Amino acid sequence: TVPVSFAQQFASTASARALRGLQVSSDPGFVEDQQVSLKEALNDLKKRYNIRFAYRAGLLEGKTISAAWLEEGLAAEAMLDKMLDHCKLQYKKINKNQFSIFAQDDSTSPFGSLTSMDATANVEASIAARDERSPNFTLTGTVTSQDDGMTMPGVNVVVKGTAIGTTTDGDGKYTLSVPDEGGTLVFSFIGYATQEVAFAPAQTVVNVTMVVEMSTLGEVVVTALGIEKDKNALAYSVTEVKGEEFTQAREVNVANSLSGKIAGLNATGSSTGPGGSSRVIIRGNGSLTGQSQPLYVINGMPIDNSVPGGSSSPNGANGNLATNVDRGDGIAAINPDDIESITVLKGGTAAALYGSRGANGVILITTKKGVARKGIGVEYNTTYTLDNVAVFPDWQYEYGQGDKGVMPTTQSAAVGTGRMSFGARIDGNTNYVAADGKNHPYTAQKDNLKHFYQTGKTFTNTVALSGGNESILYRLSLSDLDATSILPNTTYNRKTANLNLSGKLSDKLRVETVVQYTLEKGKNRPNAGDALGNPNWTPYEVANTVDVRWLDPGYDALGNETLWNDVPIATNGYFVINKIKQRDEKNRFIGQASVTYDILKNLTAKGTVTRDFYSYDFQHILPTGTAYVLKGEYLGIESEVSETNAMATLNFKQQLSESIGFNILGGFNSRRFVEKRMDMRGQEFTQPYFYSFTNLNTSSARPYLGRTETNSIFGSVDFDYKGYLFLTATGRQDWFSTLSPDNNGIFYPSVGASFVLSDAITMPTAFNLVKFRASWAQVGGGGPDPYQINLTYSSVPSNTVPLQNVTEVNPGTKNITNAELKPFTSTTTEVGFNVQLLDNRLGFDVALYDRRSTDDIVAVPISVATGYSNAVLNSGELSNRGIELMINATPARVGAFTWDVSYNFAYNKSEVLKLAPGISTLQLGASANGNATIRNNVGNTYGAIYGHRKLRTEDGTIVYNPTSNVAEWTDANQELGKGVPPITMGLSNDFRYKDFSLGILVDGKFGNSVFSVTEVYATRLGLHKMTLPGRENGLRLQGVTKEGAAYDYTVPVENLRNAYWNAQNRYTELFVSDASFVKLRQVILSYRLPVEKVKFLKIQSATLSLVGRNLAILYKKTDNFDPEQALTNGPAQGIESLGLPRTRSYGVNLMVKF
Amino acid sequence: CDDFGDVNVNPDAIQTSTPEYILSKSIYDGTQPLGNHPGLLMGTMQYTTSWNDIAGFGSKYTTAQQTRTSGPFSDSYSNQINEINEVIKVMLDKPEEVNKLSIARIWRVYCYHRLTDLYGDIPYTEGGMGYIQGIYQPKYTPQAEIYADMLKELQEATAAFNSDGATFGAGDVIYGGNIDQWKKFGYSLMLRLGMRLTEVQPGESKTWVERAIAGGVILNDADIAAIRNYNATGQTLTRNPLAYRLLDDDYRSADGVNNKEGGKYQETFIDSLKDNNDPRLPVLSVVWIDGEPENDPGLQKGMSDREPGQAPPDFAFLSQPNPATVLKEDGALLIFTVSESNYLLAEAALRGWYGGQTAAALYETGIRAAMRQWEIAVGAAGAIAQEDIDAYVIAHPLVATTPDNIEPALAQIYTQFWMGSFPEAQEPYNHYRRLGYPALTPNDYPGNATNNQIIRRFLYPNTEQTLNPTSYKDALQRQMNEYGWKGDDLNGRVWWDAREL
Repeated sequence: TVPVSFAQQFASTASARALRGLQVSSDPGFVEDQQVSLKEALNDLKKRYNIRFAYRAGLLEGKTISAAWLEEGLAAEAMLDKMLDHCKLQYKKINKNQFSIFAQDDSTSPFGSLTSMDATANVEASIAARDERSPNFTLTGTVTSQDDGMTMPGVNVVVKGTAIGTTTDGDGKYTLSVPDEGGTLVFSFIGYATQEVAFAPAQTVVNVTMVVEMSTLGEVVVTALGIEKDKNALAYSVTEVKGEEFTQAREVNVANSLSGKIAGLNATGSSTGPGGSSRVIIRGNGSLTGQSQPLYVINGMPIDNSVPGGSSSPNGANGNLATNVDRGDGIAAINPDDIESITVLKGGTAAALYGSRGANGVILITTKKGVARKGIGVEYNTTYTLDNVAVFPDWQYEYGQGDKGVMPTTQSAAVGTGRMSFGARIDGNTNYVAADGKNHPYTAQKDNLKHFYQTGKTFTNTVALSGGNESILYRLSLSDLDATSILPNTTYNRKTANLNLSGKLSDKLRVETVVQYTLEKGKNRPNAGDALGNPNWTPYEVANTVDVRWLDPGYDALGNETLWNDVPIATNGYFVINKIKQRDEKNRFIGQASVTYDILKNLTAKGTVTRDFYSYDFQHILPTGTAYVLKGEYLGIESEVSETNAMATLNFKQQLSESIGFNILGGFNSRRFVEKRMDMRGQEFTQPYFYSFTNLNTSSARPYLGRTETNSIFGSVDFDYKGYLFLTATGRQDWFSTLSPDNNGIFYPSVGASFVLSDAITMPTAFNLVKFRASWAQVGGGGPDPYQINLTYSSVPSNTVPLQNVTEVNPGTKNITNAELKPFTSTTTEVGFNVQLLDNRLGFDVALYDRRSTDDIVAVPISVATGYSNAVLNSGELSNRGIELMINATPARVGAFTWDVSYNFAYNKSEVLKLAPGISTLQLGASANGNATIRNNVGNTYGAIYGHRKLRTEDGTIVYNPTSNVAEWTDANQELGKGVPPITMGLSNDFRYKDFSLGILVDGKFGNSVFSVTEVYATRLGLHKMTLPGRENGLRLQGVTKEGAAYDYTVPVENLRNAYWNAQNRYTELFVSDASFVKLRQVILSYRLPVEKVKFLKIQSATLSLVGRNLAILYKKTDNFDPEQALTNGPAQGIESLGLPRTRSYGVNLMVKF
Repeated sequence: CDDFGDVNVNPDAIQTSTPEYILSKSIYDGTQPLGNHPGLLMGTMQYTTSWNDIAGFGSKYTTAQQTRTSGPFSDSYSNQINEINEVIKVMLDKPEEVNKLSIARIWRVYCYHRLTDLYGDIPYTEGGMGYIQGIYQPKYTPQAEIYADMLKELQEATAAFNSDGATFGAGDVIYGGNIDQWKKFGYSLMLRLGMRLTEVQPGESKTWVERAIAGGVILNDADIAAIRNYNATGQTLTRNPLAYRLLDDDYRSADGVNNKEGGKYQETFIDSLKDNNDPRLPVLSVVWIDGEPENDPGLQKGMSDREPGQAPPDFAFLSQPNPATVLKEDGALLIFTVSESNYLLAEAALRGWYGGQTAAALYETGIRAAMRQWEIAVGAAGAIAQEDIDAYVIAHPLVATTPDNIEPALAQIYTQFWMGSFPEAQEPYNHYRRLGYPALTPNDYPGNATNNQIIRRFLYPNTEQTLNPTSYKDALQRQMNEYGWKGDDLNGRVWWDAREL
């Protein structure tokens, strides 16, 4: 289908036609039926519908059609049918934008040579070089497209260095008489790489698979509001990723697949297992505390990407240790098989038409649509992958379980030291007794992660049916994803049904609907953060001579937790697996409907309504018998979230003169976001072991209704001058319900220009494209959350007298509201250029940007002594500047072998410029126990890690406290690293040879750090290698005291843990590591099965792939964990806290088309 | 386009406050244990301990767990202090609401003194003013100024009561709107705070103690300041907070074995009760035997505060709180008792500031009142036979002292106060710091942060270093200069803690 806003651009009068350069026959005898040449008519169609034609040279000569037909406003294909049929020609649609034209009886047209309006120079050259030698024998063959395995009509086939040539027929076949001494065939087709294939004397068959050329020339991309534009016209950087990128080597959450593929996009999946959320940041974090993730848009309209009940936190969420579960985000519901392409609009300049929510970039997802065809097209895609723990900690295995250098020999001593490895030297002693009360040899147990976790499995199946005719197109897909986590008893299932219907009700009226229904079910999603209910605590921190399986099953005959260590808050991991109950279910419905009406041929109106709705049900149960919460605890969330958008646009297009084109668009949008939630909490199950909200000693159900509305009007104007200079300006006015009624509106503009130098002047032939672009955009935004204007009060559940308190945003969070709240502004300036060289085999794209957020609406954490936890302020200022580089190259293209390389690099420098008067720090989050904090400090980067260092003298000598015999510490304001990597890069290599292809993606992030809670505990408990010194004779400490006196003290072995290592948790700096890494992110080896040899199966194509994700970490600085071990998709990045270990996955993918 | 009607009005929130309900909340919040729970002051005052280093912090002062002491600071402002400020905000400058204002002012003094006594200087003048005055980085007020203002507040508030004016009625969960009793509570607090100044401002101390006595303090059981409407199975906030805290931290399992945080009574406390044949021992303490709580005094044995991170072999047979009394979640919480008034009056008598009765008589009245307290709080299970009380009183007379050396008597009074006060640990801790009684032996547990000293104060929250850095540094520097603190340390002594050690 054709984008509406471009569908009609004809003036309705002959004069207008003349203006557009259409050469109308002016013979007065034919006034009633003016004729135009077919070539010009096609030329017109080409511009109008952004399509391309390939045809044999001379095929169109002398053919004319009625000029009136061009006025009829038919869709491209209908128009072509009519025109070509009249001229005894036919066409075949090669892809969305390309058509090949040939004679109706054209099976072999000797000596015809193919041309096209966009023929590349080398095709012309090969045609020009022909001579007139005569052919001697007959060569035949079939040309197919590697893209979809379909045969390709209209491909130009020439014997190199001769005039001998032809084009392929409607079935992609050609027949050619060639010289008997052999030679080289040159196959060329617009949009595909030209191939040269040698043939031997007397050879009779040469079959060729054409490969799509990685070229940006004339490419059409989807931009804001779903408008398709010529890539050359864009004044900003846009990256498009095809759907196949997501369907072979899959991530359960499709957003994770973006990692390493796009310059300036930083995607990190949470370490929470299948169904977990993802954090995607484009060009740095744009808001000091608010939403910095991009807006997700499907087919032009926004969807919701929230995490029900909020993101998990790096420590226990709001004091609710048991419920720190990653419940998964909105994008996790999208089935990659339904994605046609993803376009990433990187910032304000590209996304200004989306308003405030586009300030952080927009990820545009275009879903697959039906194509007109005979019968029903069936696609089947199946993937089976296995997951295993990727990184194992490098603990010490010299000294085993115990304390004070003593190995436990009784069960109670074993429980008391269950997580302590300060025992005797590991020597195989058989007097050793473990927490299970049994004798075991005192030997190192290095495989606890392997024993505790299992092989995760993900099985995905998608069937899609598609088809249609001229007036209606459909595609229906059904998908099932079934995942078993590496954590036993943890599963995630996602079922998706997606229906896309588009229809042409009349010549002027088109409709399109997309309906998606998703059912997600999670079971036993793991807790992370602090110890309670965290399954990972046990396998990571159990003493190093304990085989974790000795703690299985983690409960006694009554079902009560069996203890394995000295503190019950560190729940037995097997009890977590076997007894803690969590389940969730999300029913999601995304519906879109649009109507497009061509009021005039160049004036189009479109109305769209979309609604993204989900209902969600979550239940988490700490069961009766949990050692730390003996009578258990209940948490439930029931919520309904909807995002509804209604948009109307009017588009007018006009050619102002022969060289100037003009397009204007105006519209309005109304957004309604509603979150309706019931939080249910309760303590103490009255009837033990029976888990229901009705069975609680105390319980409270707390409703929340959050409503936000935004009304907008917007417009854009585009000019193009001779197809090489483009200007765009947009403006938008928003009104936000979340702001002060006196000041809730803001207008903001954007302008941009692009200049295609290579089209404006004649460049050396090595240059295929040289383009410069520049843009400036402002975007305004409202407060993300409602009810921030007036202080309100809420009743507090009570069994005695009525109680009332200041309304809490979340339990324990009180905000100082702000009656003056006004819109914030984000301003982006971007410049860049794009060069394509050497037959498009080498390309560069460079972008520089400067993005500044002012008047940012920030809930600033303030001193607890104010009585509140946060103040809602309106004065934050944040800057992000960066450079992005993309290089594409085709280092080798030899016969059927091609090697494509794509490299992207991005550097982003963020700086917090201002918070609020008198406030210089803003805490985004903290580790469990608060040892490390993630903060935005004025003058520093976004999200830096802060904490304590050991106190040192100027020459680095450690200052000790002779009272406590540990080092003195500095204040908590020491900067210890960046939480967000400033440098990201990706390198992909794609090799293709005949039916084989191999894709390898390596990506890396550099310059950030991570604070490890795992290592904090491993140090306190004697697992970390740094705790080895002094195990035999005590640890000697030397330094100075605060007064400057020499300090020399030896910590005796019996006090090593208790008095020394246990207290090292204070020094945050000890646990901060460089988090830079390079990962072998993805490997795909594909083979296109030769299905044409088994015709009776009626398979059009089938591809089998071996796929791998996160196969290896090629470079890292962390010894004991994966540097990407993040466990929240919230803003506090840079804390590792005993999340589910990250995995490497590998599997097989089969894609079959019938 | 710019009119959104009531879209931005929260349908689940009340737009204007109901001061009566907020007052109730502030009272429940203000009587939460603060530092007074097993892991902190109950341990420090050697009532309880734990074999586990983390929960045993209060009795072991281990370096690794120091930051546990910042909790009360973090909790108080956002709850009781902000709430009482919200009440005062509404009542100010309204003559008809003068009683409500006075009640709120007295309650604010109660909340603030509990806080400053733990930390030293704290945000006071600017504290809890985030919304009302837009102060986001409140300055700390020197403790001497806080005390001066609190005493002035008590004087003004008690004087301002008007017998015709309206009260909070049922929302006043301490006295149900009885302003005479509020006056007594106000003067009792004045007595408590006035006596606090003996070591730093003896003259002021005398003035305020005499003023309080003249005003009339709590001397009858009916006037005890207490919350009596707790509900054993209700919301956490409406259960007896000390019982709830003990149960939730340790004793919910009710079997003597599976004590979550490894807690038991400490041997110092149990031994004191045993050595003195204290009839409170069976009321307070049990040992679980065959699934039954046995309160036979002969069975009672406390745990050492030196248990090295592992439960002792006889852990199951050590004493722990009695579920029928101490752990009774619908028992009353006593905020200011007759026994405390009498002990303070006994000290006043010793100092010659009060001549109404002899110190010995007041001391005896104090003991008798303390023995009755348990029945008042929890009913029959807390009842102590009159003959047992008589026997105890006869065995524990106050020693005769001369005005030159009242120390032996002070030691007796505040040791007695300590033995009768449990589970309330904060006022005994204050007297311990002011006078040194009871004469507890500090723990020299390996890795303690205090050089084998009982902690003298709590640490400010780390977040103050980051979110309120200037005020924090100023306050710390001032107290380092004035009182010799070595930074924000557990050995630092607050202003009124000035007696030579």
